[in-house]
Amino acid sequence: MAVVKKRLGATDGFIRMPDGTSHYIFGFVDITGVPEEAVFMYRGKANLLAPLLEVYEGDEIYLTLTNLGLPGRPDLDDTHTIHWHGFPNQIPLWDGVPEASLSVPVGRDFTYYYEPLAPGTYMYHCHFEPVEHIQMGMVGPLVVRPQLEKEQQRKFAYNDISTQFDREAIVFLTELDARPHYLVANVQGFDWTEYAPRYWLLNGRSYPDTIKPADDPSLPYQPYSSLIHAYAGERVLLRFVNLGYEQHSIQILGIPLHIIGQDAQLLRGYYDEDLSYHKSTVYIGAGQTTDAIFRAPRAGKYPLYNRDLHKNTVAGKFFGGMVTEVTVLPAP
Amino acid sequence: MQVINLWAKDGYLSTPDGNSIYFWGFSSTADGPSQIPGPHLIMRQGEPVTINLTNTLPEPVSLLFPGQPGITSAGQPVQPQYIDNKLVSFTNYARPGETISYTFTPARPGTFLYESGTNPPRQVPMGLYGGIVVRPADYNPAVRRYKTAYGAETGTEFDREYLLITGEIKPELHRAVEQGKPYSFKNYKPRYWMLNGRCAPDTMLMDNVVYLPHQPYGAMIMAQPGERVLIRYIGAGIAHHPLHPHGNHTRVIGLDGYLLRNGSTDLSYKRFTVLVGAGQTYDQIYQWEGLGYTPDNPIPTILPNLRNMGIGEPGWTLWSGSPYLGVKGDVPKGVTSFNEMGEYYFMLHSHEEPQITNWGEFPGGMMTMIAIYPSLSPTVGELK
Repeated sequence: MAVVKKRLGATDGFIRMPDGTSHYIFGFVDITGVPEEAVFMYRGKANLLAPLLEVYEGDEIYLTLTNLGLPGRPDLDDTHTIHWHGFPNQIPLWDGVPEASLSVPVGRDFTYYYEPLAPGTYMYHCHFEPVEHIQMGMVGPLVVRPQLEKEQQRKFAYNDISTQFDREAIVFLTELDARPHYLVANVQGFDWTEYAPRYWLLNGRSYPDTIKPADDPSLPYQPYSSLIHAYAGERVLLRFVNLGYEQHSIQILGIPLHIIGQDAQLLRGYYDEDLSYHKSTVYIGAGQTTDAIFRAPRAGKYPLYNRDLHKNTVAGKFFGGMVTEVTVLPAP
Repeated sequence: MQVINLWAKDGYLSTPDGNSIYFWGFSSTADGPSQIPGPHLIMRQGEPVTINLTNTLPEPVSLLFPGQPGITSAGQPVQPQYIDNKLVSFTNYARPGETISYTFTPARPGTFLYESGTNPPRQVPMGLYGGIVVRPADYNPAVRRYKTAYGAETGTEFDREYLLITGEIKPELHRAVEQGKPYSFKNYKPRYWMLNGRCAPDTMLMDNVVYLPHQPYGAMIMAQPGERVLIRYIGAGIAHHPLHPHGNHTRVIGLDGYLLRNGSTDLSYKRFTVLVGAGQTYDQIYQWEGLGYTPDNPIPTILPNLRNMGIGEPGWTLWSGSPYLGVKGDVPKGVTSFNEMGEYYFMLHSHEEPQITNWGEFPGGMMTMIAIYPSLSPTVGELK
């Protein structure tokens, strides 16, 4: 068991879409280990997605949230929280629901404590005025790794030998309706029942930005690549997360998927029945996660896209949106 | 023979943002208020039931019982109704001022819906729907082994149970019906999302509060740590809703009134978000286990000075001021805490986040709380 200490700053910033537009966001930025006097240098540098939180089952995690404020909206003194979505047996103090515990005002911080009970794919987000703060970008992936990995020195999705994999990728689905982002930046309200996104994002980017490498200099605040690489024959784990407000229907052309986990649960019955199944399409609702494993076929490029085909666009033009590539290389 | 009487009537429902919306609903008495959802109908597997529907609305109304076999009216199997070869109703109806009877024998236990079968695209969103619970034939709430959703030996014992019926409101439709004007459904966009006919925060109020005479059912789930809470979701609207309880997964044990079991193979599953589709029902068990954060077992971080923190929404919070279950701490001056005895609150809400607004304003809509009390009367969470 390890003690993990992390610190996130909550602030705002801007992201880019492939059509050249720039959008105001709220979000988190990793400030772990940053000296106190330098922390405020991170104001206005929110990332979409927020930093990946990877922990082991049984770890003790101290996660400090520091509210750095919103330099783009200095008038707005919103508090923030962190909610670990799907976490079993959370107590309210660590659950990040401000109506049922507390939230972090500008310039203050609060340390959350977590003891992950069960491995799987989760997500985290701010739960203060969640309609606004989730859409504005305060979302990130959360992976709890199983004890079995430590015992076996190999990679597993769950504490089950059948969930072994060689490589993994996060496929994090969100949408962006540019109107509330514009209105929030300009101190205006938005009727959320008018929500109608025109940008669909994989890991915080829209195609073709999705296939640019991680930390590409043209996308300083969208650090996640969605390009999936594997050698032929390898087992690849895809961790699907939907933190948008719509259902999505994801396919990989030529690659069937073995669905082994949903909502951070290995697909096993009460009496250890194998309830896993094969699908060509991951149909996933808002707030759900799905773990799928595939064996990389022969070398080639295999498109991953949203079968809701209008989501393969960027502000109405194709290709864009929820599209990326699985690149399989010949086995070495 | 169990006999249930229903009257179809109109009324006005309230939303927390101050709107008053004309609706059609059912009442269990001739002179009582219409209600949304209609009265809960509790039946028993294998026992015949007759439902008399008296229609006081200005157009024909009928009842559908999806999932129930062998429905008869006046001794004949019910049939779709046509006028001039055009379908006008999925089933036999009562004209304005008339009464119609339906008889059937619930064949299997589970959670079901009843709803209007006449002009359903208009009448169901207007509020003509309700929930049915069919008890297993061996049901006996006094004996734990027989206090189950699906019968003894099905692994579906429960301590408390709640119905959560989802629905949506498109105010323009309701206004058009009130004024007798036509309405086009091609642009159906709800502005309100309801649990048991209420929008948050009214969902968290008790049953039968006097200022919501047409919305008698609360949606707050209350339990003690470790109890098995049976939550029956019913999708009575026309949209799907990804309902997400905080604090733990739920185990889905039944779908549309079918136990999730295939012979000896258990097919139940745990989810942290359950997507309830239109017309579907989900029976599930939620348990909050408790983690031993008691005053003898201090929390592993230091609680900050609460004056430095945001506490709840401005003016109210459901937090006790303490991290511990059953302990009341201090909350800063100016904060009103509605916490009674140090109970824990976990949100349960649609994760299509625009659905947790009232016409775009958070907080609202399809949201409630799961309250975990250190101790709770056994009569809480009894479905009547």
